[in-house]
Amino acid sequence: MIRGFVYCCSIALALNACAKHAPLAPPTYLQVDINVSPATLDPRFATDAISERIDELIHDGMVRADRGGEFAGDLAESIERPAPTRLIFHLRRGIRFSDGRGLTARDVKYTYDSVLDPASSSLKRAGLAEMSSLRVLDDYTVEMTTWRPFAPALAMATLGVVPAGSGFARARIGFAPPGTGAFRLARFTPDEAIVLARNPYHPHPRDSVPGIVFKVVPEATVRALEMVEGICDFTENDGVQPDLIPYLASHRDLAIEESPGTTFQYLIFNFRDPRLRDLRMRRAIAYALDRNQFVESMLRGTARVATGMLTPENWAYAGKVTRYQYDPAAAKHLLEEAGFTPGDPRLSFVYKTTPEGRRLAEALQAMLRRAGIRLEIRTSEWATFYADLTRGNFDLASSQLVGIADPREYYLIYDSKELPPQGMNRGAYSSPEMDRLVEAGDTELDPIARRKIYARVQQLAALDLPYLPLWWVDNVTVLNRRLRGFEPYPNGSLRSLAAATYVPSPARHRFDD
Amino acid sequence: MIRRNPSLFVGAATVALVAIVALLGPFAVRADPLAIDLSRSLAPPGPGHWLGCDSLGRDMLARMVWGSRLSLAVSTSVVVFSLIAGSLIGGTAALAGGRIDGLVMRAVDIVLAFPGFLLAIALAAILGPGLLDLVLALTAMGWTGYARLVRGQVLSLREREYVEAARALGAGDGRLLWRHLLPGIAGPLAVQATFGVGGIIVAEAALSFLGLGARPPAPSWGNMLDAGRQFLLVAPHLTTVPGAAIGLSVLGFNLLGDGIAQAVGHRD
Amino acid sequence: MTSLLLRRLAALVPVTLGVATLTFAMIHLVPGDPVVAMLGENAQPADIAGMRHQLGLDRPLWRQYLTFLGGLARGDLGESISMHEPVAGAIADRYPATLELAGAGLVVAILLAFPLGIIAGANPGGAADVGAMGFAILGISVPHVCLGPLLMIVFSLLLGWLPLTGRGGLSHLILPAVTLGTAIAAILARMLRQSLARVIGADYMRTARGKGLSRTAAIIRHGLRNALTPVITLIGLEAGALLTGSIVTEIIFSWPGLGRLLISAIGNRDYPLVEGCVLVFALSYVVINMVTDLVYSAADPRIRIGPQ
Repeated sequence: MIRGFVYCCSIALALNACAKHAPLAPPTYLQVDINVSPATLDPRFATDAISERIDELIHDGMVRADRGGEFAGDLAESIERPAPTRLIFHLRRGIRFSDGRGLTARDVKYTYDSVLDPASSSLKRAGLAEMSSLRVLDDYTVEMTTWRPFAPALAMATLGVVPAGSGFARARIGFAPPGTGAFRLARFTPDEAIVLARNPYHPHPRDSVPGIVFKVVPEATVRALEMVEGICDFTENDGVQPDLIPYLASHRDLAIEESPGTTFQYLIFNFRDPRLRDLRMRRAIAYALDRNQFVESMLRGTARVATGMLTPENWAYAGKVTRYQYDPAAAKHLLEEAGFTPGDPRLSFVYKTTPEGRRLAEALQAMLRRAGIRLEIRTSEWATFYADLTRGNFDLASSQLVGIADPREYYLIYDSKELPPQGMNRGAYSSPEMDRLVEAGDTELDPIARRKIYARVQQLAALDLPYLPLWWVDNVTVLNRRLRGFEPYPNGSLRSLAAATYVPSPARHRFDD
Repeated sequence: MIRRNPSLFVGAATVALVAIVALLGPFAVRADPLAIDLSRSLAPPGPGHWLGCDSLGRDMLARMVWGSRLSLAVSTSVVVFSLIAGSLIGGTAALAGGRIDGLVMRAVDIVLAFPGFLLAIALAAILGPGLLDLVLALTAMGWTGYARLVRGQVLSLREREYVEAARALGAGDGRLLWRHLLPGIAGPLAVQATFGVGGIIVAEAALSFLGLGARPPAPSWGNMLDAGRQFLLVAPHLTTVPGAAIGLSVLGFNLLGDGIAQAVGHRD
Repeated sequence: MTSLLLRRLAALVPVTLGVATLTFAMIHLVPGDPVVAMLGENAQPADIAGMRHQLGLDRPLWRQYLTFLGGLARGDLGESISMHEPVAGAIADRYPATLELAGAGLVVAILLAFPLGIIAGANPGGAADVGAMGFAILGISVPHVCLGPLLMIVFSLLLGWLPLTGRGGLSHLILPAVTLGTAIAAILARMLRQSLARVIGADYMRTARGKGLSRTAAIIRHGLRNALTPVITLIGLEAGALLTGSIVTEIIFSWPGLGRLLISAIGNRDYPLVEGCVLVFALSYVVINMVTDLVYSAADPRIRIGPQ
């Protein structure tokens, strides 16, 4: 009886296990391994990096950011600025969504309206605060007005456009409205895979990739193994663990490219705490950290020590700013000056719980310990991390800014009015000089004058240290040489996959066995 | 003697080894388990660092030694607390008898209806980080075993003649407990406690592995296993070393428990 | 038998109530504000208040308890904060994966334990006995948290025979199942050996031999059946351990089951989801124990041959 039971169970299990694996997609599709599942592929709600990167392939906005962070027309053929507060976008004709519908200005208006609709609770609503209205002038003309002359107004025009009447169920997973991009969403299984097929109405080169599968593989080791085995063709950035690069590089059919990236890793100081309001304390922390060592050893050279938020590739970058070399003696000296005894200052530290983040946290803790500062690490998963940041429930925090294009970002993070929960000035930094500068940068329409303003912002930020810049993370891509034509973007964009060509391996086993 | 009860001696030897490492290790191994050296990140075992270095360049040998201290300290405290709590509860229930006994056993049944490790996970998640909270969460897992054991013994011994005789002679409850109950219980309790230590070492390692036990940078074999996971490909020593230590320690305690059970069983 | 079944089912109700209450009490003692965690950093105070109302967190504790029980009776466990979908749905999506893993673990345990236990029990004191029991004590001692990564290193990284993590075909199931089932196999093997060794000396065995059966046939045909009773009970007892063991195993192998959902829910302070997962685990455990009880009671009267 027992034996019979065991046999039946084994057979049932075997059948179940064998039956389950229909391949995710045809073998001609490119496979990209990613480390987290996107939250949503609706451009009106996508705010995390991976959602935005995949969504870029599905939806287009009226403009998009190019490599240097400036804006070029995408759905918009031309853009006029008849008045400081008015922008006119002339849409291209003949563009269709992946379900065949033609794109008109009404779709644009619908998209923006749904983001602004309080019922949608879109986190992108705050980004449109400067917009006073969006009107349809005719079928292919859209007018955007702002409350005041707003220099980075074009940033608000990058929102991906969805067809009118798409509706929304707040943050519905697995659902994405049709887009005008190079691909359409074929299937979205959260935590497993996202399958993109070609958008039949979007022109593409003849031999280009017919589709892309984004497979969610949380472990870096498995991603590396899949690259080596040829199951996965491409992985980048968060998908590549620096320690595994030598292992990957030793395989001849893999190509590893590093290029400058815009992702900015930094520490936030909480100015609500009087100890951190003391510049000597902040400077002491800056001197106590050996950032070169971090970049060389922990990141294996896949980053550059940062001087501020903007990278040298950005049009507004100013390099002549105060820099802080590793100098533990200076750190100790400053702390003494500020009246602290060694081991006395205890600071709490929060970060987003990932294995890499934890490693950084422990390294920071050990380095600060040498200077006489005791760091208490508080672990919190992503949800509580943002809650802690919002409520100011931390002394130091580590975070990343991804995809910075326009220096307008300085206003959002440094202006004293932009306090959470609405704003992003999580450290509650307040400086009248900084306020003046970043507010001027918003309304200065002359690019040369604007550049000067932001140069002063960067100098002030380096002197006053509202954030401690850590490094700019390089773009690291690992791809199988069968993929050709991929060009990296500093912000990690995957756009060029749309024109890439790919030769699938004939003898390859895909998707399990 | 060894041949008659090999488990006892191999187990005792292994446990003694672990205890020696835990107690004397810090004197023999001078390296600071918390000192990082990023340039030695993921260094393989070799001269200077006999067990290699972890992802922050910390000496693995030092961390293993301090991890053994944590494992032993936590597991012995948990077993002691469980033993005390369980014995008190079980013994009181048995002595009180009647409705109180029934009530207590109902409560024990409800706790037992809950899978032990799940209870530990839930409590560890609620109570938060901190060694005392970890000990509390783990104690909640095991006390029922001792409660039942003690209650059973007390109940059976209550009926025995010599207890009645002693009572007739005027001996109080306390004296009874000490003189007559304890010798009968000592054996099974020792066995259960020994297996208990092994079990708690596993449970602590598992909780730390899940991120609910000892938090970094404090070295615990469990959280070292967790930290080593992403480096399995390039630095397997981060995983194999703590894994072997856990397995060996638990093996030692299990063998010892087996040995004691055999020894105690012979006497009966 | 039917009356026994009914009695057991009736007893299920107070136990379920007790388990549910214990779960509710534990979860609602958690400090912190789930609503701010849910709505994120840009939430308006009005949104926070609204969501708190929607989750029923602004009501007195006893009313939340009654709602919880009522929802449980209907199969409604609330909505997950982090996943924005019903908890019951999220759990139902992942429960089959855990069942698959636990089932496979049980199969592995039985497949490993029976040959080991029989060989050891049939030759007590022999080399095979010592070897098998040595293997068993090793199996009991090495926890999932060590065995899993060890198997991964050997069979996936070094030998490349099996995939490292994840759920997929049969090959993905092997390492997690072996990890999960080994400890139980060891316990079963030991019990089977003891049970068998005890039974082998019995009179009816000598009768069977006398009738001309070979030693092996006698063992298999008569000895085993009697030795099985305590083993069946043990299987039932250990089946619960399969469930809790699956939590760590799922994390090690990134198996998309309920255990992994629970741990990530804890990390996200997703209270409704944690509550739901803990409840489902605990109730599964209760059901397994009840089934074991029933099987034991059912099996018992039929297997009462020979000395007890």
